[in-house]
Amino acid sequence: MKTYTFHVSGTHCPSCKILIEDTLNEQVGIERTTVDLNQEKVTIDTTLNEGQQKLAEMLTEKVKRNGYSLSVEKQTKEKVNHAVIWEAIPIGLTFLALFFLIQKSGILNFGLGGTVTPATSFIIGLVASVSSCLAVVGGLVLSLSATVSQDKISDVKPIMLFHGGRLISFIVLGGILGAIGSAIGINFTVTAILGIIASTVMIVLGLNLVGVFEKIIITLPAGVFSFFRKIEHKTITPLLVGVGTFFLPCGFTQAMQVAALSSGSFLSGLLIMGVFALGTLPMLALLSFGSASFAQSKHAPLFFKSAGVLVIGLGVFALLAGLAGLGVIDPLFNI
Amino acid sequence: MEKIITILSIIISIALIGGMIYLVSDGSNTSDDQVAQSQNVEIRDGVQYVTITARGGYTPSVTEIRGGIPTKLVVKTNSTYDCSASLVVRSAGFQKMLQPTGEEIIDLGIVKSGEKVQGVCGMGMYNFLVQAI
Repeated sequence: MKTYTFHVSGTHCPSCKILIEDTLNEQVGIERTTVDLNQEKVTIDTTLNEGQQKLAEMLTEKVKRNGYSLSVEKQTKEKVNHAVIWEAIPIGLTFLALFFLIQKSGILNFGLGGTVTPATSFIIGLVASVSSCLAVVGGLVLSLSATVSQDKISDVKPIMLFHGGRLISFIVLGGILGAIGSAIGINFTVTAILGIIASTVMIVLGLNLVGVFEKIIITLPAGVFSFFRKIEHKTITPLLVGVGTFFLPCGFTQAMQVAALSSGSFLSGLLIMGVFALGTLPMLALLSFGSASFAQSKHAPLFFKSAGVLVIGLGVFALLAGLAGLGVIDPLFNI
Repeated sequence: MEKIITILSIIISIALIGGMIYLVSDGSNTSDDQVAQSQNVEIRDGVQYVTITARGGYTPSVTEIRGGIPTKLVVKTNSTYDCSASLVVRSAGFQKMLQPTGEEIIDLGIVKSGEKVQGVCGMGMYNFLVQAI
């Protein structure tokens, strides 16, 4: 039994510790792996009779897929990384300003006629996906996709599941609304509280993307992250979050729910909500698959940090708006 | 070089944040907003009607009314699908998803001088204020 210590690079998240430990412990001949995120070091006990350099290469092969690499010598950290945040803040803020400008410009307030048909609900969906609803739903999609792609490079399965869950829930629940003709998910207080939860999640994920937590990872027990990691990588989670977007606060969604409600049949309710969700799909798909592809480009660090800044901004906005909606605080803005 | 980027970044960021705050801050207290008032207040048969249009926000955002008389709020929607259709007027205990096109009449009772009635959309992104003087 020999003990080796390697330098590790690419550890950007608290759950990386568990991921690396789990992956390496599965390898034959590796007895015990300990990751020290603070020092960026991996210590292994092994029964293998390989040289340290050879071992580093072997083990890197196993964790490369997740964006980590092990080396004997400490790799000189890219100096660029420190400057990235200074580029990311203006970029994130520019997108945030653009979002508010679009809202303020009033171009989203064109007339659509009195009755909701599947055709108009598609257009309403398109409008909704760039409206103030983007602050909650879009912000959540962006923060989750960026977080998922940061953890697992080139894995679009959770994103597909999310969109699938969203479409299915809108179709099924829309149909049910039409069939039973009474309210589900239109309770203001419940949606407002869900919105506040969603915006809190966005702020936390945004801070994580920006890298605020990198400094304080160690102070939190690994068990907490192991729990989050399990949730994050379960198939059911993205699906459930997708389903949950049906209940998130968005005026357009609620207007469509009312329309489905008064449509009077399962089929028409299903069509209205389903087509509405399809209308929101292009923008949300752009956000999520865009994150996934950016995550693989060389601009990944800049993208994650810019997305983080944008998501924090949207999260704070949605949080303050949600609190105002609940009557907890006075409204601070009128966009 | 890195220093220049940092300084530039801070300057641009402050400008952007300032711009956004200016853009979204609630203009309820500025005098410009009060120009549109009085046109949307009408007294008929001793009842004061305040008309607010809800679509992509509420207009006018601030309305001054007479205090001490029965007051009703008339909220008009015209193909309104956005947040402003989900209206909450807490002081009147009103909470409803408005029809996309139509009129909703909300009884405010007698609003005493100095009192304010705040209307807000369900997600809190738009609001309006009716104040009795």
